[in-house]
Amino acid sequence: MKIVKKQGVQSTIPTGSMADIIFLLLIFFMVTTIFKMEEGLPIRLPRAESGSELDRERLINIWADRYNRISINDKLIHVDNIQAVITSRFEENPQLVVAFNVDHRTRYSLVSDIMDQLKEANAVNVTFVSMGEEGS
Amino acid sequence: MIKKRSKISAEFNTASMSDINFLLLIFFLVSTMFAVEKGLPMALPGQQSKSVKLKKENVLTLQAFANGSIVARGTGPLALHEVQRFIQNKLIQNPKLVIVIETHPDADYGLMIDLLDELRLADAEYISLRTMKTGS
Repeated sequence: MKIVKKQGVQSTIPTGSMADIIFLLLIFFMVTTIFKMEEGLPIRLPRAESGSELDRERLINIWADRYNRISINDKLIHVDNIQAVITSRFEENPQLVVAFNVDHRTRYSLVSDIMDQLKEANAVNVTFVSMGEEGS
Repeated sequence: MIKKRSKISAEFNTASMSDINFLLLIFFLVSTMFAVEKGLPMALPGQQSKSVKLKKENVLTLQAFANGSIVARGTGPLALHEVQRFIQNKLIQNPKLVIVIETHPDADYGLMIDLLDELRLADAEYISLRTMKTGS
């Protein structure tokens, strides 16, 4: 009869350092992640209750602040040049929707001028970006 | 003199530290509110679209002035919170009603968005934007 030997190898994995490993991974990914941010202009969006979801794939963002500055693709631009920029973007993809990121204190005449340019460029689908009620 | 050794351990228990960290992490994950951006979609008249003659009784003009006041043409001034009820009543009387938001060039963009929001909340289907002519 054979006597079963007790195995000396431990069958537990030490989990004490697990938290350290997780933290290291967390910090590694935090440092290496690059967010793609389109900054635009610092604005305060108007609030609206009836907003619907934005389809971010199809948006071109136009930013306008209350000092009448306009920015498309992170470049400041004059009102009269909007048509050319938008037209060239629509040649690549005619399905695009133009998103108005406009400060709520902006004079309406600027918005009206932008809309005139968009009509010239035949960019008829627009959306006015607003803040949902819960947003802070 | 012989010093007494203190029997109280000077270390504290760090085993539950990761649990506490996870609890904090989950708490902040749940309680963080992201700013939700929503859109108010509109279709602008393009170059190809034909202008349609509308009967006078099918058009309701809401005027937004530079001082922030709202006037329903033919009815009189309205407060912003009255607009939704007012439009709903008008739409029950005439479901084909086209609502024109006529904004003064010096008015705030936010006022126009407030009006547009109220109209969307009132389920108005035909909305048109117009800029007020000045100097006439």
